[in-house]
Amino acid sequence: MSSRRSRSRQTSSSRNITDDQINDLVSKLQQLLPEIRDRRSDKVSASKVLQETCNYIRSLHREVDDLSERLSELLATTDTAQAAIIRNLLMQ
Amino acid sequence: MNHCVPDFEIQMEEEEEYPISISKKPSTQNDEIMELLWQNGQVVMHSQNQRPFRKPPPPPNTNGGDGVIPAREIRSSEAESYGHQHLFIQEDEMASWLHYPINEDPPTFDHNDFCTDMLYPHQNASASQNHSSAAVQSSVRTAELRHPPPRPPIPPPRRPEQIHNFTKHGNASSSSKAAAAQQTVVDSCDTPAATAERAETGRASVSAAAVKAAESGGGRETATCDVTVTSSPGGSSGSAEPVQREPVVDRKRKGREPEDSEFQSEDVDFESPESKKQVRGSTSTKRSRAAEVHNLSERRRRDRINEKMKALQELIPRCNKSDKASMLDEAIEYLKSLQLQVQMMSMGCGMVPMMFPGIQQYMPPMGMGIGMGMAMEMGMGMNRPVMPFPNMLASSTLPAATAAAHLGPRFPMPPFHMPHVPAPDSSRMQAANQSDNNNMLNSLGTLDPDKSIIPNFTDPYQQYLGLQQAQLQLMQSMNQPNARKPSTSRGQENPEKHPSEET
Repeated sequence: MSSRRSRSRQTSSSRNITDDQINDLVSKLQQLLPEIRDRRSDKVSASKVLQETCNYIRSLHREVDDLSERLSELLATTDTAQAAIIRNLLMQ
Repeated sequence: MNHCVPDFEIQMEEEEEYPISISKKPSTQNDEIMELLWQNGQVVMHSQNQRPFRKPPPPPNTNGGDGVIPAREIRSSEAESYGHQHLFIQEDEMASWLHYPINEDPPTFDHNDFCTDMLYPHQNASASQNHSSAAVQSSVRTAELRHPPPRPPIPPPRRPEQIHNFTKHGNASSSSKAAAAQQTVVDSCDTPAATAERAETGRASVSAAAVKAAESGGGRETATCDVTVTSSPGGSSGSAEPVQREPVVDRKRKGREPEDSEFQSEDVDFESPESKKQVRGSTSTKRSRAAEVHNLSERRRRDRINEKMKALQELIPRCNKSDKASMLDEAIEYLKSLQLQVQMMSMGCGMVPMMFPGIQQYMPPMGMGIGMGMAMEMGMGMNRPVMPFPNMLASSTLPAATAAAHLGPRFPMPPFHMPHVPAPDSSRMQAANQSDNNNMLNSLGTLDPDKSIIPNFTDPYQQYLGLQQAQLQLMQSMNQPNARKPSTSRGQENPEKHPSEET
């Protein structure tokens, strides 16, 4: 995806990592997780956040696989030109 | 701590005890026993506990002694047992110097045997204890004989104490071995001290020569203290001269007053500097043990986090970052991208059935969210102009509109649309595809300009935005069934297409 490609490299800024940075990142990560997004940040441990992140990434992978399968099925039934358009759109 | 209360009591007692010992010089023998006991070490605490109870008649004595021993057993720490060993060594030390000067004065008494009996009484039978008690009595008596003026009132209460002590030991040793050991240890610890004190005070009051002998004994003890590590400086100072005792007392008080809650730190004041260090070391080891436990849990937590981090790293493609921050950064970005991908794919899944009516070609140039909204608007907008057209068209476009309505707010694909929508539209899908290729229009034999128009639609369709084209396209797709039917709407269709061509 384009967003992945255009990801800004912030690793250079976080060269010397402190615990604050880690906590900041973990809380940022927590905001992305729908399961524990609404919980209070101080009640969720870092390992819990990481575990949920792993689970969420796995579920997203599953979802992506599922969706791509469905899409390919759908596109197979449609016209090649349209499928090409959609494929173009999705696989940008 | 549970022992802080008895300790505090002791402290209070002792503090009210000391002024007496300082003020009343001639009759200090009884009080000085207390002092020396205090200086000797921590067991002295125990004996102190017993002492005040023992001065009153014997029955409370036993109660006090029994009450104290469990309290002592409660605080079973390393430092405690260590202190016991110290005390043994100290008493040994004291016995050695006791033996030395007193052998000069009274030749009748074998202190060595006495002290060994006192030190290891639990191994002996009650007979030896009786013997030692007799020895104590004799020593007390010898001390008495030397000091007729101050003594007579004091010994009578004391002698029953000792006897009671040892008879109690005999009973205890016969009944239960462990408790007997405990008690005899404690009491033997304080009785040699008492006897030592007695002998010492006796000497100090009898003659200056005896005092000098005691001083030499004290010096010798300090000399041995260098060798044997453990000895009580308080004991040596007490044996040397009573004047030295005052600063010691002051120091003890000063040291004790701030730390009344800590039992071991209180003991520290009574120990020699060497053992003081060791006791401090034990407290510090306790503290470090707590820190160790904390470190252990912390390390476990960190291990868990690292483990999760590793799992996360395996989930993230092309992530060969070693440090945590960039790893997390990567994870966040990857998560965002995955979410976006899923969103777009679900939108694409929703879009595919929507494309069959023919709107799909105008979807790509639009932004996704906007496109869906536009599609909805188009669906709504289409229905209204279409309504004048035959009603069956409205019914045919309705699924697309409902699909758009479903997809508009959030982008989950309604699952029932997947098999449902293509089925009724399959015929029209063919038609729509043909309309893209202008085949249908050609076959229908519509207006010639449409041939030129429709390639314009398909080629630069990314530049076309807006409802008009969508409507036009929909018109085309709707016109196909109309065209198949013998309908009169074609006349209306053409004038609409021409303005769109001009745009």
